[in-house]
Amino acid sequence: MEDSPSMDDHQDSSLVVGVGLCDSAPLLWRLQDLKTARRLGLVGALLGSLPRTPRQNQRLGRPLLLLPEEEQLLRDEEAAGALPGPNQDVGGAELRRQFEEDQQRSFEEQSVLALEDRKSALRRAMTSSHTGSESGAEAVDEALCGRLEALDHSFSFPQSAMAVQLSTARAGLSYCPEARAHLQASWPIREQNNPRSDARYQVFRDLRGRGFYLTSAGKFGGDFLVYPGDPLRFHAHFIAVCLTLDESICLLDVLAVARLGSNVKKTVLLCSPVPDGGVCYTSLQWSGMV
Amino acid sequence: MLLLLLRLVNMADQNKTGTEGKLFSEILSPSELFAARSRSHKIPVRGQKDFFPNDSDEQRQRLEQSLNEHWSLTSEERVERLGNLVKAVWIPSDQIVELQSPAGKFWQTMGFSANGKQYLLPEEALYLMECGNVQVFYRDLPLSIQDGYERFLSSATVTLQQYQVFGHLKRLGYVVHRFDPSSEPSSYARQLNLPQSRDRAGRQLKRKRSPSPTATCSYTEAQVESTIEKMEEDKCSLEGDDAKKLAASPDIQTATTSGADEGRSWWMTDDLGASDKELHHSPTSGSSRWDFSSIPFPDVGSSERHPSCLAPPEPSLLPGDLTVGVCDIASWRRKINLRMVKMSSKEQKREKDTRRRRWDVNKDREVRRCRNWAEYHELLARRQRKRKGRPAHLWNREVTPLHDPKQPISTGELLDKISVIKSTHLLEGASRLKGSEQWRICFNVYQPDTVADFKKSNPGKPYSRMCVCSFDGPVPDLRAIKLLAFQSGDIPVVFAVVDHGDISFYTFKDFQLPTDVFP
Repeated sequence: MEDSPSMDDHQDSSLVVGVGLCDSAPLLWRLQDLKTARRLGLVGALLGSLPRTPRQNQRLGRPLLLLPEEEQLLRDEEAAGALPGPNQDVGGAELRRQFEEDQQRSFEEQSVLALEDRKSALRRAMTSSHTGSESGAEAVDEALCGRLEALDHSFSFPQSAMAVQLSTARAGLSYCPEARAHLQASWPIREQNNPRSDARYQVFRDLRGRGFYLTSAGKFGGDFLVYPGDPLRFHAHFIAVCLTLDESICLLDVLAVARLGSNVKKTVLLCSPVPDGGVCYTSLQWSGMV
Repeated sequence: MLLLLLRLVNMADQNKTGTEGKLFSEILSPSELFAARSRSHKIPVRGQKDFFPNDSDEQRQRLEQSLNEHWSLTSEERVERLGNLVKAVWIPSDQIVELQSPAGKFWQTMGFSANGKQYLLPEEALYLMECGNVQVFYRDLPLSIQDGYERFLSSATVTLQQYQVFGHLKRLGYVVHRFDPSSEPSSYARQLNLPQSRDRAGRQLKRKRSPSPTATCSYTEAQVESTIEKMEEDKCSLEGDDAKKLAASPDIQTATTSGADEGRSWWMTDDLGASDKELHHSPTSGSSRWDFSSIPFPDVGSSERHPSCLAPPEPSLLPGDLTVGVCDIASWRRKINLRMVKMSSKEQKREKDTRRRRWDVNKDREVRRCRNWAEYHELLARRQRKRKGRPAHLWNREVTPLHDPKQPISTGELLDKISVIKSTHLLEGASRLKGSEQWRICFNVYQPDTVADFKKSNPGKPYSRMCVCSFDGPVPDLRAIKLLAFQSGDIPVVFAVVDHGDISFYTFKDFQLPTDVFP
């Protein structure tokens, strides 16, 4: 399942991320899309159960939920497209036939593999139990052949033993990158035109442009958590609170967020987009009473 | 040898589907499926994070390792033995999932039976799909997890945010069911289980009267009454007395009465060394204490000869147009320094007789003022009420005293009567509130350790009830909290706030301010 490195580099610049909409939330399903997004510095949040160990909450699996700012960034960079919805793919008889054929083939191949597996296990068991003289070795070989033949006749691989895949992403979504134009056209317009979300997006863009990684910071009382590098390896340095320049902020709120920041050992950044396109940053430092 | 076989088959697959298809295709080959049986079920532990990125190779290496680990975990597909999977179909018209093979262990806490068939709710089915327990088909083709999310989750069934909370709690082991407001007992039924409310009638305790505070003034019952009358009439003069006392003291600095804000400063006095007979119009600067040595209070109680009249107070000290004349204190002086005379019973009887004989109703000034019998009856009734402690000027007006002093009452209850801010409880007025679209309880949550005995038909009381919201939305206001608490009954309501993959749980706990008054 790993991609060879050469393929990665080649496809890098032209990959388009396919975004699926679920209850009007942008979700990434395919591993390649997750990798592309990560390469662009977009972290997102995993929502689903992890296939290996589904009953825990420490590590979650696909889908990846994008922040509205991340989704907008992808759209602005023309690096994303909407995947077709579930109803558009409902196949007819052709797909069903294909599915049944695939299942049958898989069953047959697995039966072969299972028999092979049993045989080699038998061989291992018999040879390991007779580590003796050469005269003994011949007898072992004969017994082994006999047992293996018996296995060929009697072995049965029940249907219930077949391994089956429960796909994460919808099957059949193997898009070529050239289909980007097609994807762009079908992008649903879901913009929020209010000054608050504009400010958030400007700040997001600016910080991302400076190389920071950003995630949501609702439970820290801010808009974004700002990491100096990939969140897998680094702790967040800042809590970014986005404000428009003409928005007045109550002093008590400033104190509250400053306290919060010092409690979690992060610096609070008040961020406001300025008219010339940049962003003005103010950091809060708790210096104590003089 | 087996490894080599796998490799060969893998490459064959690659060539078949083409490079671009391979990039996005996540379908496992049969050999991969077979090999998945020996997958590890352990998650690697995350190492320590670094604080600051430097361009060191070490950091780069660790990052690569973390990323690879991350991708390998995230890329793993669910592979299950067909015999372990429960087969089900999605029925979009009913927004329900119908089981087609017998349910497994999950049936104890999830799903329901109807028409002889077993069904799962969409969120339950999706969760079981993610756990790898159920394979849901639609039109004879298996649904992927993506299909499940996109088809099962909507505002008509369960939203994505609600499903996040559902999944989070289920993964921790809780039993989570949809909340149905109509299946909750009515408020009346709940009332029968409420603890006893406080008895507001107050307890009638027989209390001992506290002794009179002033030992020097001892009055008999009869004299108390007449004194009270006199005191009412002499109220003005008594006020004048107070003011006069201050005016008589020449050493007090007083401020002018012109300024309203300075009107209260007359009691402020500086410590004086020299006596000052003049009135000063100086504003107060800093607070001082009374200098009692320089304030002469007229000693009306001493037995020495003193003027039987007190001079009127300085007009400047009196408010408005009030004028007060000279005060005759002769009658007052007669009433003080009295001692209780201990009389024998015969003497008491004699005393009573002479008093009765001497008492002439016509000498009573108030009786003389009555012009007819009706007024006289009124006078008698008024005096009766006064005797009983209910004087007319207090009880016959629009504004009556808060509490009858003759009624026993505990201090706590009296404080409650006085309190301007009344304490209330959360459910007060809640039954009148109409439901809201924005705030509603989504789930009942039952604790994990009850799973063994859990019965779907009789789940019992939930551990808590969930209301799902997000940090983007408003904080629940008092109205919303009241509404939800009312709907929930005596089960605490927990707010599950969803923030892009993170869930925080908040609940409001009831709190009573302590009152340190014990009856």
